[in-house]
Amino acid sequence: MTWCVIILITCLSLYLFEWVIWLVVPGLLALVGYYCLQPLVQALVRAGLKHRTAGKVVTGLLFLVTILGVVLLFYVAATRAASWQAVTAHYVQGGLDFLEKTKGALEEKLPLLKKSALMGSTPTNLDTASEQFVDKYLAKLLLQMLHWLPALLLVPYLTYFILQDGNRLKKQVIRSVPNAFFEKTMLLIDRVDRSLQSYLIGLMKLTFLDTACLGLGLWLLGISHPLLLGLMAAVLAWLPYIGSVTGGVLVTIVAATDYPKEPATIYGCVLLFVCVRLLDDFVFLPMTVGRSLRFHPVLSVLMLFLGAAVAGPAGLLRVLPVLGVVAVIIETLGQILRNDRLWARFRHGRQLRQTMAEVG
Amino acid sequence: MKAPFNFLRVGAEDHRIENLKGLSLFKRLTSRELRELDELLHERSYQKDEVIFDEGDTGLGLYIVVTGRVKIVSSHAALQRAAPECGPGDFFGELAMFEESQRTARVVAAEPTQVLALFRTEFVSLLERDRGIGVKILFELTRTVIGRSRKLLASQPHLPTV
Repeated sequence: MTWCVIILITCLSLYLFEWVIWLVVPGLLALVGYYCLQPLVQALVRAGLKHRTAGKVVTGLLFLVTILGVVLLFYVAATRAASWQAVTAHYVQGGLDFLEKTKGALEEKLPLLKKSALMGSTPTNLDTASEQFVDKYLAKLLLQMLHWLPALLLVPYLTYFILQDGNRLKKQVIRSVPNAFFEKTMLLIDRVDRSLQSYLIGLMKLTFLDTACLGLGLWLLGISHPLLLGLMAAVLAWLPYIGSVTGGVLVTIVAATDYPKEPATIYGCVLLFVCVRLLDDFVFLPMTVGRSLRFHPVLSVLMLFLGAAVAGPAGLLRVLPVLGVVAVIIETLGQILRNDRLWARFRHGRQLRQTMAEVG
Repeated sequence: MKAPFNFLRVGAEDHRIENLKGLSLFKRLTSRELRELDELLHERSYQKDEVIFDEGDTGLGLYIVVTGRVKIVSSHAALQRAAPECGPGDFFGELAMFEESQRTARVVAAEPTQVLALFRTEFVSLLERDRGIGVKILFELTRTVIGRSRKLLASQPHLPTV
C-alpha cells in the first residue's frame, strides 16, 4: 500500500515538475553545485572566515571560473569551428556507413528483415541525413536552447543562495515545526539530504571514474578523442540502462569510422564497454553512489518506463532521485502518522501553549 | 511582530557564539570552532510540563539546557537518582550521540525552558571533517557519562564503585 502511494506521488511529482521544468533543472544543478562547493565553504570557515563571508568567497570564485570557462569556450569555438564541423561530418558519415554495413550484414543473415520498415528508413549519405536533421530537429533544437538559456542563468544564483542561506532556511523551517515532531522532522531532513547528497555527488564521482577508465581504454585502443568520447559516454550513462547502451553505440561508430577494416578494434571497444559496465556495477557504484536511491531492479525498470511515459526523456533522468526522495518522505510521514504517542504529545504541547496564552 | 526573513540577518551571530562559550560542553572550543558548531545547533522552547522526549523513543541527539530546568523521569529508579534534574549548562540525552538506542528516561520541562539540540548524524559529519572539534566535545561528553555512571554505581549497594 505504502509503495503504491510512493509510486503514485512520484508520477504526480514528475508530471507537476514538467510545468516548472525551467525551475526544476536549474534547482537540481544548483544542488549539485551546493554539494560540490559545500566542503570548500566549510574549509574556509575552519580557516577562520564567517560562514556568510566564506559563502560569498566561494560563489565569487564560481562566478569567475564560469565566466572564464564561457570566454574560453567561445574563443576555442570561434577558432576551431571549421575543423569541428569537418570532424563531425566525417564521423556522422562513418556512422551512416557503419549502419549501412550492419544493415547489409543483417539482411544477408536474416532475409526476413529485408521486408521490415526499419531497414528501409536508414539514410545512406550525409546530405540526406543533414536534410532530415535540419527539416525535423534543428529549428526545434535551437528554440529549445534559447528557451533554456535564462533558466540556466539561474543556476549560479540558486547555488549562491543555497550556500549562503540554505542552512539558516533549514533551521527556520525546523523551528516552525511543533516540538512533538521536531526529532522526526530532523530525521526526515537528514535522510532526504543524505540521499540527495550521496546520489548527486556519487553520480559526479562515477562520471569522473567512468571518463578516466573509458578514456584510458579508448586511448590504448587508438581511438581518436578518447577523453571526449569517454566523457560523453559517462554523461550519457546518467540515463539508467539506456544511456550506457547509447554511449557504447556512439564509441563503436567512432571506432568503425577510424578503423573500418579492423573489426578487432570495434570488438575491443565493445569489450571495453562491457568491462567498464561490470566495474561500474561491482566496484564503482558501491564506492560512489553506494546504496543511496538504489531500489530493486524490477522497481527501477518499472519506474523508468513510468517516468518516460509521464515526462518523456527528462523523466528518465529524474525518476529515480524523485522516487528516492518521495520514498523517504512518505515512509517517515507514515511513521509520524501512526505514532499515537507523538500526536498525544503534540496535543498536550498545544494545550499548554493555549493555557499560557490565556493566562499571559 | 517578527520581521519576515529574520533568519537572513547576521547581527545575532557573535552574540550566540559568546553564549555558546559559556556552556560546559563547549568550553574547550575556540570562537572559530564554535562558529562551525553553531551551524548545527537547533534552538527549541518548551512550556512547563511539556515533554521533550519520552522513554522508549529512538534517541537521535542530545539537548543542552540554555535557560530553565528539566525533570528526568525514568522507570529505572537508579537512573532517576543519578540525574533527577538538569539546569542551565547541563545536557541530557547524550547516549544518543553514541548509538541509535531507545531513550532510557522521559524528560519534561520543569519550567519554561530553552534548549539547544545537537543531532548525532550532523555531529558525525562534523567529526568526519574536523576531528579537533569532535575530540573536544567527545572528551567533555565522556567525562559527564563517566561521572553519571559512577553516581549510578555508587547508588547500587551490591555493585563495587570504580
